[in-house]
Amino acid sequence: MASAMRAARSQLDVATQNLANVSSDGFRRLTTTLDLDARGMRVHQSTSAEQGAIRRTNRPLDLAILGAGTFRVGGEATRNGAFVRDRDGFLADDRGRRLAGRCGPIRFPDGASVAPDGSVQTAAGRFIDRIPLPPGTRIETGALETSNVNAISESLNVLEAQRSFETAQKVLLAIDDTRNKAANDVGRIQ
Amino acid sequence: MNRAMYAAASGMAAQQQNLEIIADNLANADVAGFKSAAASFADVNAGGTFGLGTESLGKHALFVQGKLEKSGGPFDLAIDGAGFFCVEKDGQFAYTRAGSFSRSPDGSVRNADGWRLRGVRIPADALRVDVGGDGRVFVDRPGATHVAAGRIDLASFLAPEHLRALSGTLFTASPQSGAPQIFHPGDGAKTTLAFGMLEKSNVSIVESMMAIMTAQRAYEANAKGVQAADEMLRIANNLHRS
Repeated sequence: MASAMRAARSQLDVATQNLANVSSDGFRRLTTTLDLDARGMRVHQSTSAEQGAIRRTNRPLDLAILGAGTFRVGGEATRNGAFVRDRDGFLADDRGRRLAGRCGPIRFPDGASVAPDGSVQTAAGRFIDRIPLPPGTRIETGALETSNVNAISESLNVLEAQRSFETAQKVLLAIDDTRNKAANDVGRIQ
Repeated sequence: MNRAMYAAASGMAAQQQNLEIIADNLANADVAGFKSAAASFADVNAGGTFGLGTESLGKHALFVQGKLEKSGGPFDLAIDGAGFFCVEKDGQFAYTRAGSFSRSPDGSVRNADGWRLRGVRIPADALRVDVGGDGRVFVDRPGATHVAAGRIDLASFLAPEHLRALSGTLFTASPQSGAPQIFHPGDGAKTTLAFGMLEKSNVSIVESMMAIMTAQRAYEANAKGVQAADEMLRIANNLHRS
């Protein structure tokens, strides 16, 4: 039962983490699955691959990935496609990390554009680089993928975690009562 | 438990900041040349440890073109395309897209806050002023028409999003934005000037109202998360009965 309380606590951790990131563009919500083994209840976390809603921003350097795949920025993978040009003309995210193309950071000249297949072209149509993406994935420019957290279901998860915790506590108290009886009442000599 | 509480609290702080920025956008929806700002948020990742909540990546201005509107001002200018007016006050340089200027007695062209538009000087006896799409300024004086009176240059930046905001409409260069690149409007550049027009703010009232509602509900949901974490602590404390 103590493991059930721990599990409920992990579920709350995940639900609040998801809720906190309901406005983080490109955020993928964490999901939990519970299973029971010899050591009690265990929580497994995984990241949802569900596509987030697409929000139109009309800024030419906002890129939304439709399908699988991620942007590589500074050695990390992200789905947040809010890029700006930095002072050296490279595409960079809000943390200043540069977006990687096939070989190194992508330099983005004036008037260049990103095509739906991820290729970056100059205004004259000359190919510069390509954002590496798996086949079948498209890029939409002027839009951002919003967080795929569903605030309603996460609020329910918060409630559910709280109630499971409460239930587990009640059961734990009941077990404690039983043991109390066994230890103090059963063997008592009248 | 504390992790859940801190994650939820970081979500509340983020939504609070979000609301402040949206409110500021709405308050300036009627200010010519105002650029709406947005905050972006991301989950906190500390060496693979998950569940540390969210953090703000900072506020930046969105340089999306606002609608051009005919205005009645004596020296109103609007930029159609990318770029900024170069203005100067007390030796300090700044950049703006707010083009509501007027003539000063000393011949300079200034906005309401006293910032002087660089590159142009209007003679005191000028009867009529005209600015072409390429920024060339012509005046009609007694006895002479179409006299050149300078050319308005614009500045562009490689990373305008990193400009430092002095106000909602006035910006200065920062190390991250790069140095200003001065260019002539027209002349093959995609940017042109429109005289007698003003650029309206690029704030969308409908979108801002929607954003306010979303932020408010998200704030509430995070507050519930804090409450739930607190409630769990209470329940855990009740395990010890006296």
